[in-house]
Amino acid sequence: MLGHVAVRLAQSLVVMLVMSALVFVGVYAIGNPIDVLIGPDVSQELRLQTIARYGLDQPLWQQYFTFLGRVLHGDFGRSFVFGIPVMDLILSRLPATLELTLAAVCGAALVGIPAGIYAGYRPNSLPARAIMTLSILGFSVPTFWIGLVLIMAFAVQLQWLPAGGRGETVSLFGVPWSFLTLDGLNHLLLPALNLSLFKLALMTRLARAGTREAMLSDTVKFARAAGLSEWTVLRRHVLRLIAIPLVTVFGLEFASTLAFAVVTETIFSWPGIGKLIIDSIQSLDRPVMVAYLMLVSFVFIAINFLVDLAYVGLDPRLRKGGAR
Amino acid sequence: MSETPLLQVSNLATYFHTRAGVVKAVDGVSFALKRGQVMGLVGESGSGKSITGFSIIGLIDAPGRVEPGSSVTLEGRELVGLSGAELRKIRGRQIAMVFQDPMMTLNPMLTIGTQIRLALEAHETVSGGEARRRAVAALAQVRIPDPEGKVDFYPHQFSGGMRQRVAIAIALLHRPRLIICDEPTTALDVSVQAEILSEMKELVAELGTSLIWISHDLAVVSALADHVCVMRHGKIVEAGPTLAVLTRPEHPYTRALLDALPSRAAPGTLLAGGIGADVAPPPRKPRAETTPVANATHYVVIDHVAKRFSQTPGLFRKLAQKAGLSRPPAAVQAVGGVTLELKRGEALGLVGESGSGKSTLGRIAAGIYAPDSGSVRIAGAPVMSSGGNPHKITTQVQTIFQDPFASLNPRMTVGDSIAEGPLAHGLVDRAGAKAYVAQWLAAVGLDPSFAVRYPHQFSGGQRQRVAIARALAMQPDVVVCDEPVASLDVSIQAQIINLLIRLRQELDLTLIFISHDLSVVRHLCDRVAIMYRGQIVESGPAGAIYDHPQHDYTKRLLAAVPVLPAPVTN
Repeated sequence: MLGHVAVRLAQSLVVMLVMSALVFVGVYAIGNPIDVLIGPDVSQELRLQTIARYGLDQPLWQQYFTFLGRVLHGDFGRSFVFGIPVMDLILSRLPATLELTLAAVCGAALVGIPAGIYAGYRPNSLPARAIMTLSILGFSVPTFWIGLVLIMAFAVQLQWLPAGGRGETVSLFGVPWSFLTLDGLNHLLLPALNLSLFKLALMTRLARAGTREAMLSDTVKFARAAGLSEWTVLRRHVLRLIAIPLVTVFGLEFASTLAFAVVTETIFSWPGIGKLIIDSIQSLDRPVMVAYLMLVSFVFIAINFLVDLAYVGLDPRLRKGGAR
Repeated sequence: MSETPLLQVSNLATYFHTRAGVVKAVDGVSFALKRGQVMGLVGESGSGKSITGFSIIGLIDAPGRVEPGSSVTLEGRELVGLSGAELRKIRGRQIAMVFQDPMMTLNPMLTIGTQIRLALEAHETVSGGEARRRAVAALAQVRIPDPEGKVDFYPHQFSGGMRQRVAIAIALLHRPRLIICDEPTTALDVSVQAEILSEMKELVAELGTSLIWISHDLAVVSALADHVCVMRHGKIVEAGPTLAVLTRPEHPYTRALLDALPSRAAPGTLLAGGIGADVAPPPRKPRAETTPVANATHYVVIDHVAKRFSQTPGLFRKLAQKAGLSRPPAAVQAVGGVTLELKRGEALGLVGESGSGKSTLGRIAAGIYAPDSGSVRIAGAPVMSSGGNPHKITTQVQTIFQDPFASLNPRMTVGDSIAEGPLAHGLVDRAGAKAYVAQWLAAVGLDPSFAVRYPHQFSGGQRQRVAIARALAMQPDVVVCDEPVASLDVSIQAQIINLLIRLRQELDLTLIFISHDLSVVRHLCDRVAIMYRGQIVESGPAGAIYDHPQHDYTKRLLAAVPVLPAPVTN
C-alpha cells in the first residue's frame, strides 16, 4: 500500500513538472505579457524597469528555473495583474468552485443513480422511457443555452431565484461558503443544476446499462431463488455490482468540473476559479496560469488515486493477501 | 398410493412469447416427487430442463410465461398463479435452488457471511450475532473446514468446490422441503464433483430433503437419483427408476443419448449417434522437402519446457521495488520442466484438472506461448524462433480451442475465417480460395454454401466443425485440441469425436488432445499423460493407465469418475 502511494506521488510530481514546463513555453510562445501589463504610451525607461522587475529580461530557461526554485519553497510567485501571491488568489476563489462542483456532482449522483437503476430494473415501463428520453436531452443540449434558459425562466420571468453571484456567505475555517445560508443556497441552486444536467444524464445511462446487465446475472437469480425481496436485491447486490464504473465517472466528472466549470461560472457570474483562469489567459498572467494548471493536474492525479482506493474498497478481488 | 406427493407437477407449460413467435420451452411436463426422493432431470441444452426448474419456483421473466392449465402443487398447495410476494415467501424457505457456476452465483463484492445473512433475513428477523452463528453452522454443515474464519471470506478466496458448498449451504439455510440443483457440478473438476455428490447424498438422507437434480450428464445422475426423467424439446420422453431407464431404455432418444457416450463404446471406434458425412478432405499441397521418416518415433519433441506467469512492472513500479517500497507480485509456475515425445500419427491425451497447466503446455506446443526454458520441435525443426522476442515459425501445428464462439471472429464470414490463414501462407491462391473452403467445409460435414454465414448463425456443434476446418485448412501435421468437446452436448460431442477419429486417419494427423474428461481421452487417444501442478505424474498407453494406474493422483482421478451401470444387451 505504501509503495502504491509512493508510486502515485512520484507520478504526480513528474506530471506537474511537465505541465509547468508546457505552460511556461506555451505562454512564452503566445506573446510577451509586458505588452498587456503596461500601456503602449509608457516611457521606455519605465518599460525596461517593469520588465526587469518581473524578471522577463532573462532567457526563458533561466526564468523557468528561477520559478522552480521558488516553487520548492512554496512560492508560486505574484500575479502580474492583481499583484498578490498566486496561491492566495487561487485559494480565495477555490472554495466557490468547490462547493458548486460538489453540489452539481453529488446532486447528479443522488438523482441519476436511482433513476438509472429504476430504468434498468423496469426497462419497458413508461417512467423508464421518460427517464431515458430526458437523459438524451441532458446529453445533447449545450450547457450555456440551458443556463440562459434557466435564468430566463426562474430569475427573469418567475423571479424565484437570483440570476447570479454567490449571495450571502458564512465564514468557516476562514473561508467564505454559500451553502450555509438560505440566500447562498438560493444562489447556488441554478448554477449547480445547470452544471449537473450532463452528469445526471451520464450517471443515469451508466446505472441503467449496469443494472440491466446485473439483473440477468446468476448472482441476482440466485439471490431471488433464495427468496430475497426485489428491494434487497437492488440495494445490496445490484448497487454493489454496478458501483465501479459509477465511481470512475464520478471521480472524472468531479475533477473536470472543478477545473473547467468556466461556462457556467461565467453565465451565473459565480466568482470561482474558472473565471479566474479565463481572465488570466486574456491578460497573459503567467504565474496564475502555471500555478492553476499545476493544481489541476494534481487534482486529477489525486482524484484518480482516490478512485483507485475506492475500487479496492468496493471490490475485494483487488485486495492483496487473500487466503488463496 | 395414499401419501400425497411433496411436489406434483402436472401439464406444466412455459412458453416464451417473442416477436418472432411462441417458443414452447416447456410443453406439458408432468411428474411427482415424494418426500426425500431424488429425481434426475436429464436432457441436452435447449431441452427445457432448466426452465422447468425455474417454472417451479416462479422465476420466469418476461417474455416467458407459465401457461394457464399448468399446475405445480407443493404439499397440496397450488403455486401457479400465486402473487410475486407469496412466491417469494416460498422461495428459499420451502424450495431452494442451486445453480451451475458458483463463481457467478455468489456476489463477488460481499463476504460469505453477509450473503448468508441476507438470505436469512429474507425470511426471518435475526440479530447480527445470531446470523453469524447460523452462518458458521451452515458452513460447518456442508463440511467447510474452519467455518469460524471462513465466514468473513469473499467468494474469490474459495476454490470452485468450496464456493459451490457455500451455495448449497445458503440453499439449506431454511431447511427447505425441496432443492432444485441446476447442473451444480458441471463447472467443477471430477474429483471435486465426486466429493460434492457424496456429500449431497448424505445431506439429503440426513435432512430428508427432496432433490431435483438437473443435468446433462447421465453418469452423474445415476450416481445420485432414484428416479430419472429424460427431457427433449420441452417434453419428458421417458421416466422411471434410474437403473431401469439406464439399463433398459425404452425411448429411442434415451438409447441414442446412452450410445453417444464414449465410455460405452470400444476405444477408437466411431460412436453411434454421431452421423458423419463422408467427404474426403482436399488434397494437401505437396511439400518441397519430405520430412525424413527415420525420425518418426520422436516426431514431436517437447523438451524440458517450463513457463512462469508474472506481471511485468512499469517504470515507476520498478523504481519502487528497487527502493523497497513495493514487493514484486507473485509469479505462477504453470508448467515446470515437462518432457514429452510423440510418434508420428499418435494421439496423446493430456489429462488434468483445472490449474494443472495442461492448457499452457498445449499452447506452448502449438507455438502460442513461448516457453521460458526448453523447446518444442516438430520433425527436428523448432516451433518458435529463438532470440529475445520469439514467435511461431511453422504452420505445421495448429490449435482447436474449447469455445469456438470466442475463437472465431464474429465480424468475419466463416469462409473468410477459414481462408485467411491458407491465403496468408500461400497454401492456396485467391482464385482457388472459395473452392478450397468449400472442400474443407464438406470435409467436416457442413454444407459448403455455409461459407458466407457468420459464426452466430451456427449452433455450438457446427461452430466447432468450422473451427476444426479452419485449423485443418492450414494443412498441419500436428493439431493441439484444447478441450474441443467440453462445452458440447453428448450427441454433438459424439459427432465431433467421430469427426476427429475419421480426419485423424485420413490426414495422418498427430494429435495432442487436452481434456479433463477421462472417458473422451480414453476413447480417442493411444497414449495418456496425466498432469498435476505443472508436472507430468504418469504417462503411458491409454489402456495400461486406465486399467493399472500407478500414481496416487491418477488413481484418485479415475476413482472420482462417475460410472454408468452397464447396459443390458438383449
